[in-house]
Amino acid sequence: MSDTVLEVRNLNKTFGQGDTMVHALVDVSFSVKRGEFLLIVGSSGSGKSTLLNMIGLLDKPTNGEVYIDGTNTTKLSDNQVSAFRNSKLGFIFQFSNLLADLTVLENVLLPRSIQHTDQNAMKEAVTLLKGVGLESQMNKRANKISGGQAQRAAIARGLINKPTIVLADEPTGNLDSITAETTVQLMKSMARKLNQTFIIVTHDRHQFSEVDRVITIKDGRAFEGEDMPHKMEVTV
Amino acid sequence: MSELSIITMLYVIYRTNFIQGMDYRIQLAKRMLSNKKGSLIGAVLAVSIGILVIHVNFVIFQGLYDAIVRDLSSYRFGDVRVTDEESFITKSDIFLVNWFERIPYVEAAAPRVQSSASINVTKGGKLIEEFSVQIVGVDPFRDPRVSTVYQTVTDGQYVLSRNSIVVGSSVAEDLGGVRVGDNLKLKVTDRRGEDQIRRFLVSGIVQSPGGQGLDRSVVIHIDALRDMLDRDGETGEILVKLSDPKKADQIKEYFLRTFPNDDFKAETIEESAEEALSGFRSGIAMINMIGYFGMMSSAFAVVTIQMMLVSSKTREVGVMRAIGAKRKDVLIIFIVQGMIIGALGAGLGTAMGLGYTIYAKETKMTFAGSIPLEVSYDWVKIIQTAVMAFGLAVIASIYPSYKATRLQPVEAMRYV
Repeated sequence: MSDTVLEVRNLNKTFGQGDTMVHALVDVSFSVKRGEFLLIVGSSGSGKSTLLNMIGLLDKPTNGEVYIDGTNTTKLSDNQVSAFRNSKLGFIFQFSNLLADLTVLENVLLPRSIQHTDQNAMKEAVTLLKGVGLESQMNKRANKISGGQAQRAAIARGLINKPTIVLADEPTGNLDSITAETTVQLMKSMARKLNQTFIIVTHDRHQFSEVDRVITIKDGRAFEGEDMPHKMEVTV
Repeated sequence: MSELSIITMLYVIYRTNFIQGMDYRIQLAKRMLSNKKGSLIGAVLAVSIGILVIHVNFVIFQGLYDAIVRDLSSYRFGDVRVTDEESFITKSDIFLVNWFERIPYVEAAAPRVQSSASINVTKGGKLIEEFSVQIVGVDPFRDPRVSTVYQTVTDGQYVLSRNSIVVGSSVAEDLGGVRVGDNLKLKVTDRRGEDQIRRFLVSGIVQSPGGQGLDRSVVIHIDALRDMLDRDGETGEILVKLSDPKKADQIKEYFLRTFPNDDFKAETIEESAEEALSGFRSGIAMINMIGYFGMMSSAFAVVTIQMMLVSSKTREVGVMRAIGAKRKDVLIIFIVQGMIIGALGAGLGTAMGLGYTIYAKETKMTFAGSIPLEVSYDWVKIIQTAVMAFGLAVIASIYPSYKATRLQPVEAMRYV
């Protein structure tokens, strides 16, 4: 099994046409190794969420390629993309985005239910919920728990299918500082425990003290590290 | 086992095994709907009211049609009516009645003679203007077995003897309020073209609900009319009452096969009353069409409510797509919602429709003193209507479901 789980090659994304054309991403290239805890930082509007959407196959690049586990995802059909997202990617969103109609446990089970592979699903979901400290809340409706608890449930949901990469978009953006710190520590401990690759997009670098690697996005371009003046553009 | 324990058991099964084992799309569809009770109730009511309208139309208009058929059959035509192609039946009425009454499905048969007559009465020395009426000659012993005219006697008695006459309520009114015990004169033209006048004693007045009976006729003894018409032993028609009216065609065919050379004409009630019923049938068809248009309107209501449901679940659809749900999964969720709405609406609408039908049947519903409706349970139509409503609700959910599948995850998740 290759050590590289993600390879982004010459990724470009433009919005609009003519005078209103905006280059959200410009020739972004980088790769990520298995088990890495990678932070993508940048100011608001820099293109970091757009990049995450490309990696998460939620949006299509204007050109360039995204390889996940060696598969060129830009060639996949809509159904293949859905199946790929389900099996290879885990998502943690800013607003947790749990389905209010389901319980916490059902939310965690949802990615597995989509796969229609229920063997051991319940057991694994309960284990994950224990891991994120939500064992006692698992039968509550998702809209009956706090924001921090919801985000922890979202982490469990992101991990249930043992994805290649977990993508988190501003996972602490909607939390108070203490809850945010707890959430960050939880993600880090899960990453270590499961040797899980995490790619986290944030505008607040300080919340994530020690990480394996940082990529900075500025004006749609990607730079290795976080101290802009001394950095070079990242290439494969 | 008590009803309560059955309900409890069903609830436990519903809450445990069934829910646990249910496909997540069905479960999600059900939860999404149950958490939007207002929309669910609105959509279910739209479907059920569509069904109710069709049931009410059926009860009223089909009930009225069947009531008219029932009354025409029991007052005028029987289930099968035998006449002569040309003129009067010359074969013995006793022979024909006996022939019919040997058939197992035949309850009774009776002869009648009909003609028209001029009628007048002198009241308080004053002659009430003469006018023409239909005159029906009946066998006082056999006729009550095939017809319920005798039950419509509101005053006095049915035909008693050769000189008694029963007067329809409208005729009695036109004659200035004829009463039991009054004398009146009938003038008929016999087979040779000569006027025959005879005096009768009023023995009874008939009045039927809705005027479907012999309210505009007079009834006398069949032999008295035969005498007046100079048609001794002849019969105008034989009315046949069946224990199973559905066998009318069979009896009719059997009769015509048995007497192929007698110029008999045999008709079922539908054929005898075709003139009276054909217009009504067209009316019913139009009313039914209006009912089905009503159901189509319900389908549009379902489309609107489903569109609102999809709109309110945009973010959820985005999340589901992001975590790997395919377009078809989203489609199934909203189609299942359409199925739930359709099933609940069809169930509720059918229950309400049946409730109304039972009420109409048990209370022998009438409108403004008209004829009591002949309410029946047409199970084929009831099931057909429910299935059609269910199908329309599902079809109505296709477009909103399709719209849901077109949502892009990134766009959908921005929707809060």
